[in-house]
Amino acid sequence: MAEANSKPGESLDKALPSGVEYDEAIMAQQDRIQQEIAETSQLIGDHEDLLLLSKEYSEEDNVYQGKIKDLRSKYKCFRRTRGDGNCFYRAFGFSYLERLLDDRKDLERFKEVAAKSKDMLVSLGFPAFTVEDFHDTFMEVVEKVEQQIPVEDLLATFRDQGLSDYLVVYLRLLTSGYLQQNEDFFVNFIESYASVKEFCGHEVEPMARESDHIHIIALTSSLDVGVRVEYMDRAGSEEVNHHDFPEGTEPKVFLLYRPGHYDILYK
Amino acid sequence: MANIAVARIKREFREVVKSEEAAKCNIRVELIDDNFTELRGEIAGPPETPYEGGKFLLEIKIPETYPFNPPKVKFMTKIWHPNISSVTGAICLDILKDQWAAAMTLRTVLLSLQALLSAAEPDDPQDAVVAKQYKENRHLWEKTARHWAQEYAEAPKSKKDDEFYDKVSQLAEMGFDRHKALTALSAHEWNMERATQDLIS
Repeated sequence: MAEANSKPGESLDKALPSGVEYDEAIMAQQDRIQQEIAETSQLIGDHEDLLLLSKEYSEEDNVYQGKIKDLRSKYKCFRRTRGDGNCFYRAFGFSYLERLLDDRKDLERFKEVAAKSKDMLVSLGFPAFTVEDFHDTFMEVVEKVEQQIPVEDLLATFRDQGLSDYLVVYLRLLTSGYLQQNEDFFVNFIESYASVKEFCGHEVEPMARESDHIHIIALTSSLDVGVRVEYMDRAGSEEVNHHDFPEGTEPKVFLLYRPGHYDILYK
Repeated sequence: MANIAVARIKREFREVVKSEEAAKCNIRVELIDDNFTELRGEIAGPPETPYEGGKFLLEIKIPETYPFNPPKVKFMTKIWHPNISSVTGAICLDILKDQWAAAMTLRTVLLSLQALLSAAEPDDPQDAVVAKQYKENRHLWEKTARHWAQEYAEAPKSKKDDEFYDKVSQLAEMGFDRHKALTALSAHEWNMERATQDLIS
């Protein structure tokens, strides 16, 4: 509550010099952190040997070293993604489109699903004009994939901050759309939010908000694309556990999960 | 400024201009410079609120990372509202901060601000003094907010509002700055003595 002697116009936080708004200070700091991350890592990296991962952990760390060994027996290499809170969407988007460069049949199917998605979003009440903007950009990239552009060009698209973020936004909208369409089911899994719509407004639609199982289930179900996530955490034995989304589907995208972050794996 | 941001703002600008709300003169946007980095917004005070009949000008700055980050918006017209600083015009509204999504537009922002004028959120205040008054003496808050709208936002006046004018004028005649006098009176429940003390201290 306000102190009896506080002046009008002041926010509650007195620790900051006058004229500096608390929220603005937080936002400025977040921008600085994002900038630092951006300077040290690409949105989507080059292929790297999985052996490089083992250098990130102590040699005596038997759990992680064991898991990396297990991972190397199953996968050839990996691409890092930038840890900016959008990594799941970006990793999924790039990895799946990269795969579609060599899978015409699935591309046809995906193009149809993606084309229809715009009307679904508009019918849910998203502003038609912005949805259209993101949808058009998304479809342009899908068409480039149809023309079988070289992987380097697809990589360049995903490394272009603005364009890449446009694709992330559209995937976030699809995730939100699927959650809202299946509200009756998902309402059982959201804690601390009154409705699925509110959850989406806080945890799905804003940029940089991280993804959890519920996001992955929604996006993979919405596009009917199987994703296998290999979990590398402290849990369990010296083998990596995996989980397929949606359950029981054949995975087309392989992601490596380390607490708070997703990278792309290659067989 | 990044091409994406410019292209978006150009389209949005047209969207607001030809929108239904704009036709009814409830919301407006204007360009300030040719680079589309700064705009001037205007919203009408919603009916059945102390802001009714007032026109509120907004400063809108478009960041280079728009639409992935929200526009920076503040009130240029002075206003007495729990979620808006009566000094700086800074706004406390979730979609201008961490709940902004790239699918939102300037139109969304202007309509949300209009909604904020209709329904304040005193538990998430930007201006602690106004929020306290809003919670503890709603009637006085309403009268004060209406007075500010008349003074700064061209809201229509009526006879019954004369009392506050007289008090401000009295302090102004004593040599105090009119706006400072109004602020002091607003913060001290329109008590002349306490407002004067505040102005002297």
